[in-house]
Amino acid sequence: MFVSEGAPERLSTERPETVLLRRIALRDRAAFAELFSLVAPKVKAYLIRLGTEAAGAEELTQDVLLTVWRKADQFDPAKAGPLTWIFVIARNRRIDALRRERSTVTYGFEPPEQADEDTPSAEAQLSGTEREIRVREALKLLPPDQQEVVRRSFFDEQPHSEIAEALNLPLGTVKSRLRLAFAKLRDRLEDL
Amino acid sequence: MTGAAVTPRHHPSEATLAQYVAGTLRPGFDVVVAAHLSTCAHCRAEAARLEAVGAAMLDEQAPVDMSADALDRALARIETPEAEVPPAPTLAEVLTPRRRRWLAPGVWTAKVDTPRYASDRVYLLGVGPGISTADHGHGGLEFTQVISGALQDGDIVYRAGDFIEHDADHEHQPVVWGDEPCVCLFATQGRLKPKGWLGRLVFALADV
Ligand SMILES: [Zn+2]
Repeated sequence: MFVSEGAPERLSTERPETVLLRRIALRDRAAFAELFSLVAPKVKAYLIRLGTEAAGAEELTQDVLLTVWRKADQFDPAKAGPLTWIFVIARNRRIDALRRERSTVTYGFEPPEQADEDTPSAEAQLSGTEREIRVREALKLLPPDQQEVVRRSFFDEQPHSEIAEALNLPLGTVKSRLRLAFAKLRDRLEDL
Repeated sequence: MTGAAVTPRHHPSEATLAQYVAGTLRPGFDVVVAAHLSTCAHCRAEAARLEAVGAAMLDEQAPVDMSADALDRALARIETPEAEVPPAPTLAEVLTPRRRRWLAPGVWTAKVDTPRYASDRVYLLGVGPGISTADHGHGGLEFTQVISGALQDGDIVYRAGDFIEHDADHEHQPVVWGDEPCVCLFATQGRLKPKGWLGRLVFALADV
């Protein structure tokens, strides 16, 4: 919630979204308008990439930003970077919407909002924002074919078979490429 | 769910964790991964890292314009009071067997009430010590989380907390290991393909 004292170097890695979220937590409507213009088009694009049609993606993005407004006081940049926090909200709102659509649905299941709430936060030496920067760099360092399979793991429902089909590769090759790509990512991010 | 004191040794694949984090796993299969995460600090830390990868995916999208009145609508919506939303059931509630169907002495199943495709099955299976499950193949993906007890599949023993991920075309006959009953949570894509008449009969009764 707060900038720790005597850590001005932190500010250099701070994203504008972090500052805006702090102001939104204080019910600053101008900050909300600014954040909306900054992230809503990306959230909409992300949802479309996941297969939501444009009108549905627009509505879902509205829900995501409304949730951002309501939960802004729960944003803790030490735990998760601003985009990670917004990503998790978008993921959860999308799951909720899919659940409402499916007729077989009776009970829901909410994935944990903070995956590692019970992990001692002392372990997290890097701020959430620094973590986001490190992850982006680690992704960029992967060879393009490995970046491709990592992306598809996030966007396809059956990544193994869909990748195999799209790239015309045997399933075994796809699996070993995935293992290799994620092992490299993990090695570079082990200390996060 | 937190009864497992041992550290799990068998985990979901990275691709499966990535899908869980992205929310793109087949519905129903996410519950099995969630059950694993509830017992595995290693995978929770991995999932947290993957959420940051998800943020990178979000950030790298080429923006798609919102409609012209989108911001005005959003500014109006934040002024309206929040509607009460009933809380989603907890994982423990979802995994509490409501009605056990006894299939044979020492063998029961209970459906898990969670979103899933109509052709998929999500259920708990309890098997007493020394009983072998029916030899079967899969129509597709199968996720298993060992809730309590242990089972042997091939030459690997899976204990409470362990996660098992199988593809289509994998045929196996897991056997309960040790002298405790074994309870597992399963998600299976398509019907299981039992081998032999006894297996077909039991699987038909169990509706798996
Ligand atoms: Zn694990």
